Amino acid sequence: MNDDQNDPKKTRSGIDRRDFLKAGAGVAGGLLLSSGFGRLALAAEHPALGNYPAGIQGSSVFVGLSVPRTGPYSAQGEDEIKGYQLAIDHLNQGSELARAYAPDGKKGVLGKKIEHGVTDNQTKPNVAVQAISKYISDKKAMMVSGSVSSAVAIASGKLCDREKTIYLAAISGSNDTTGKDCQRYSFRACHFAYTASKALAPVIKNALGPNKKVAYLTPDYTYGHTVYNSMKEFTEKQGWTTVTNQLSPLGTSDFSTYLLNIANSGADVLVNICFGRDAVNSIKQAQQFGLMDRMTMVVPYMAPFLAQEVGPELMQGVYGTTEFWWTLAETNPLAKQFVDDFEKRNGRKPGWSAHIAFLQTMLWANAVEGAGTFYPPSVIKEYEKGKHINTDIGEVWWRGDDHQLVRPVFVIRGKKPKTMRSKDDYYDIVESVAGPDVMPPKGHFGCKLGSYT
Amino acid sequence: MPSLPLFLSQLFNGLALGLLLALISAGLTVIYGTLGVLNLAHGALFMVGAYAGFVAMEHTGSFVLAMVGGMAGALIVGLLMERIIIRYFYQRPAEDQILVTFGIGIIITEAVRLGFGGISQRVAVPEWGQGITKLGFLFYPTYRIEVMVIVAVVLLLLYLILYRTRIGMIVRAGIEDSLMVNMLGINVYRVFLLVFGIGAMTAGFAGIINAPIVAVTPDMGEAILVQSFVVIVIGGVGSFPGAVVGGIIAGEIVSLTSMFNPAYSHVMLFAVMALLLAVRPQGLFGIEGRE
Amino acid sequence: MILRNLATRGAGRPWVAELITLIVLFLCPLVLPLLGVGADMASRILIWGLFGLGFDILFGFTGLLSFGQAAFFGVGGFVSAFLLTQTGMTNVVLALFIGTLVAMVAGALVGFFTLRRSGIYFAMITLAFAEMFHFLELSPLSNWTGGENGLTGVPTPTLGLGSWAVELQSGWQMFGFIAVFFFIGYVIAHRIVLSPFGQVLTALRDNSPRALATGHSVRKYKLAAFVIAAGFGGIAGGLLGVLQSYMPPDALAFHTSGQLVMQSVIGGAGTLFGPLLGAGVWLGLRDSLQDFPTIAPAWKLILGVVFVVLITVFRQGLLGAVKTLFTPRRVATEPDVAELSAEVTRRHAVAGVPDAQLREDEVPDYAFHADTPHRRAKGLDITPKAADKGMPALECRNLTKRYGGLTANEGITLSIPEGQLRGIIGPNGAGKSTFFKMLAGEVAPTEGEIFLHGANITGLGVTAVSQLGMSKSYQINQLFAKLTVAQNLAIPVLARIRGEFRPDMLTSLHGVPGLHGQIEATLEMVNLLERADVPVTELAYGEKRRLEIGLALANAPNVLLLDEPLAGMSPRERADTVQLLKQIRAGRTLVVVEHDMDAMFELAEYISVLQEGRLLAEGTPEEIKGDQRVQDAYLGGMEEV
Repeated sequence: MNDDQNDPKKTRSGIDRRDFLKAGAGVAGGLLLSSGFGRLALAAEHPALGNYPAGIQGSSVFVGLSVPRTGPYSAQGEDEIKGYQLAIDHLNQGSELARAYAPDGKKGVLGKKIEHGVTDNQTKPNVAVQAISKYISDKKAMMVSGSVSSAVAIASGKLCDREKTIYLAAISGSNDTTGKDCQRYSFRACHFAYTASKALAPVIKNALGPNKKVAYLTPDYTYGHTVYNSMKEFTEKQGWTTVTNQLSPLGTSDFSTYLLNIANSGADVLVNICFGRDAVNSIKQAQQFGLMDRMTMVVPYMAPFLAQEVGPELMQGVYGTTEFWWTLAETNPLAKQFVDDFEKRNGRKPGWSAHIAFLQTMLWANAVEGAGTFYPPSVIKEYEKGKHINTDIGEVWWRGDDHQLVRPVFVIRGKKPKTMRSKDDYYDIVESVAGPDVMPPKGHFGCKLGSYT
Repeated sequence: MPSLPLFLSQLFNGLALGLLLALISAGLTVIYGTLGVLNLAHGALFMVGAYAGFVAMEHTGSFVLAMVGGMAGALIVGLLMERIIIRYFYQRPAEDQILVTFGIGIIITEAVRLGFGGISQRVAVPEWGQGITKLGFLFYPTYRIEVMVIVAVVLLLLYLILYRTRIGMIVRAGIEDSLMVNMLGINVYRVFLLVFGIGAMTAGFAGIINAPIVAVTPDMGEAILVQSFVVIVIGGVGSFPGAVVGGIIAGEIVSLTSMFNPAYSHVMLFAVMALLLAVRPQGLFGIEGRE
Repeated sequence: MILRNLATRGAGRPWVAELITLIVLFLCPLVLPLLGVGADMASRILIWGLFGLGFDILFGFTGLLSFGQAAFFGVGGFVSAFLLTQTGMTNVVLALFIGTLVAMVAGALVGFFTLRRSGIYFAMITLAFAEMFHFLELSPLSNWTGGENGLTGVPTPTLGLGSWAVELQSGWQMFGFIAVFFFIGYVIAHRIVLSPFGQVLTALRDNSPRALATGHSVRKYKLAAFVIAAGFGGIAGGLLGVLQSYMPPDALAFHTSGQLVMQSVIGGAGTLFGPLLGAGVWLGLRDSLQDFPTIAPAWKLILGVVFVVLITVFRQGLLGAVKTLFTPRRVATEPDVAELSAEVTRRHAVAGVPDAQLREDEVPDYAFHADTPHRRAKGLDITPKAADKGMPALECRNLTKRYGGLTANEGITLSIPEGQLRGIIGPNGAGKSTFFKMLAGEVAPTEGEIFLHGANITGLGVTAVSQLGMSKSYQINQLFAKLTVAQNLAIPVLARIRGEFRPDMLTSLHGVPGLHGQIEATLEMVNLLERADVPVTELAYGEKRRLEIGLALANAPNVLLLDEPLAGMSPRERADTVQLLKQIRAGRTLVVVEHDMDAMFELAEYISVLQEGRLLAEGTPEEIKGDQRVQDAYLGGMEEV
């Protein structure tokens, strides 16, 4: 209706324009890379794409954060916010920690201060999409991040891909996020169903022995199914038998039916795929039904704060995987900086929701500084280069084919309450499984990235 | 086909579920029957009971005191609701009442979330409830069996109050015809307050005794609310026996359906309700023509 | 004269509101950015507004509170999205259209089941159906709907053909696309509300049983309203998918229905624009609150408080509050006597009757002149009789009603000849009300039969009976509370002219032939002509009683049942009502239940006496006065003490 000549989104109106853009991008990108001086990206160096260059006209750049602040995952959402804030503060100050991740930067990212906005996506994909649209169109966000569910992450990723804005998933456990639902503009740094299962299976085989019978408690939605499929694949490969798969509807509060079935199944191991509140309910009730006395419980993908919500008595001896655990501070100096600073600011240890938020932000700064520009295709290509980056979880790198970070998966086991050194000392890190050992083969989940422009 | 022991254990399980639902629905139905107000904040009161009990537990370590605390917490919130807002709505149409209690439910839930955070809280199973009991072929958590007994006792108490005391008779008369009761010189508004208080207390009590079984979160009342509506519609609104029978039936429906296909267990409740309303619109024990 | 105000919305020129809406929509892309409202937000508000247009027709105008509208929002949205993403259909408008149709079919199905109940049962059962649809989307149909991920990749519309094709972009172009649909939707909704169909809907909201008794098939109207609401939901859902290229599963969740209800109440139900305003408030507050970090987590709490405050204080919502500010409040007064006597004089002049013929003791403001009735009575229609002459107008045989162990009426047989004014009397508890209810068709008899002009009407129900030409006026006023006097009278007239159901949703009220004439004639007959545009709430009691009789009259009955027409009246009012009854006898058969013996003996040609559910005696007034059994029945029991 209204012709806005400065509207950076007026790009797609025919084939000719697109080709021109691609050519223009190629030329501009080439100029940049070859110049070696292209730190401060001048607006005219790349053609307009997404919120580039409108979003970087001033001295700041806007980052849109969409997390659940109400609803069942509000705790994880709030934790993510704190992680983002910590990262953004460090980047803006140009602190030592920031330099560890983005060595070439000074203050901010490419000299621009990071402003951010937070919105409550209520764990609803629709609300997330709406909020993100607003950040992109009104605030000219150059990066969007945040999620506690794969449905939200996938929907957000698709929107951002359409709007040519970079999206960084936070918590997303489904294989599909960097599988069939992967997007050129979307990146995932956390572990997920396949990597968690592949890391976990040998550890529990060593710990519990061969020839075990496994019962599964699976929440009946995509995430649950993917974890089940992956766990089944890896446990059966090592000689374990699947005796039952109990599908519980998402949001079940009473698991007695499923637990009774599992109790009658003759299983030695209970793999509990439930996430969040469902996990808390099912674990409590499993203990009440006496299952914990007869079986070992495995939670392949542990939500942040699970141990705190369930209590150490119930979590002792339980095996699982996590993206980050604060005791990594004892062995990794960067982790120590992160954990200490977080604790100073917030009075408690960070969950992995905060950590993934922090990590994604730092890696983004790294990519932008590395690219020397905010121009999305350049940043994406910097990501896809896959250079090794030293982080608080060790060395990580991005896989260009599916935008999944290759990174370690931490297998943890609940400590006996007597051996806890502090009130947060819930887990032992049993093994830190290297990233390359657990990644799925390329294309395994059907990822086909779209175009850059 | 599921085996007989499995079937029987699910039947038993359904009874446990159903009794809890019955308790919550009893409060809801008596409030509706007497005051004519459909209390969409009832689930929130259930949740408040759990949180109040949690706080009491944290401070005293006694589960008995936690039960009292849960009831007291829900009672206070319920009375505040009634005095501050709901009593202005008695003369207003039913839709207004539904809407305002809906809004109040949201307020209570969000206030609790702001106060306690979204992380779930833990209420431990009391010592006298730990462990498993063997009932023939079935291993069942001791605490759940105790809950069943406690709930049955409370329902019996409610029954005695409603059907064997003078005040109960007034309440039942008020369910029939509150105008008449008022004209007979009984201060019907005090009766309303009493009924609302009893309803809130039963919801709160249900919340705290259920708390050791589930995660205590601000949203825990939502699912319960919808289920208890289904129960009172099945049983007949305003009918105490209807709530009890309806609750047990609902519990069994959920439990038995999940034997065959767990995904359908909750939607089956809705389907049964829709079917029942088509065939017998007033519910099992409801009075024909009463809305 | 008065009937330009007949339609509820008041405007005699609907296109004015529509034109203004169009202009505002055009101005949005220019003005809204200055207010900080982006195109995406504006588009979403419009979509909720469109969704709300249908919901307002259902809730605001028909009075049906549904907590399950998300079902149709989702059905329409997913069908459109599915067609556009999984079947290779490229015509977005066609897909939207099909989605809307499917949503309407779903509405008809769900409505068929849910509308059997009303009140909270209706609300609960709509909620249940919506949850079932939600479940269908998430689980069994997830291969088609994407389950909890929804359907992505919904294309943006392309307008034009071939080399002239322009693909719409997100932003204000998309807003424009949606605005077109909103405008069309608004015009349709506006016309519906102004149509005869729409008038009947408001009657349903105010007094559903009376609307039924007046001859409207309440069930069919409700179903039609429900289907309309479903259709609006369906198109809104489809547009959401197109707007964000993504059809989310939570379109079907309970909170979507809940949000729709809350927004409509906040904005103001019954105004058509209420839901739009409410959406603006809700979405605007939600987004702006999140910009303040300290209170951002509390946004829902704040909105909840706003909602509760609004319901408590401004039940009519924001638009309703604005409306009441601008409408002068009129105090219920008796009409100015001097004004009226002047009017009477004028009418007498028109009628060619000299003033001198006014009787001395006639009080001018309630006067019915003896000489003019014939002319007035001619104005009012009378439904032609269905059966042959010679049959009694109304007859019942062995009419019995039992409620469990209680027998209200037992074996009543009586026959009322054509043109008679029959009185029914009896002491309290004689079963007169129940008897009358059975005659009117409100209650089905346990045994026995009823014949209207020889046709068996037993068990047909009030609506059919009313359409056949018998109507009843109630002891306790059963008026349409939120309408004006003329609007009240329009309802029975519409039933009479249009039959029990006619989906004339897009026609104008003024296009209904004979409507104005009948209403005017009735107003004159009951002497409420100068009060035609007064809302019922502002009438004096006596005027309300007259309106009550008028409602029954406007049905053009050939048999008129009057249940205690003189109830609660002052002596002066009684005298006038007696005169009125005498006048309306012409061409009709009247059956009157009364306690006022003087009036009864003056009016009735023949009287039937009921006692303890049975027919005790029948006869002329003289015979009844002198009948010992009747005297005993009235005084009965006292002498035995």
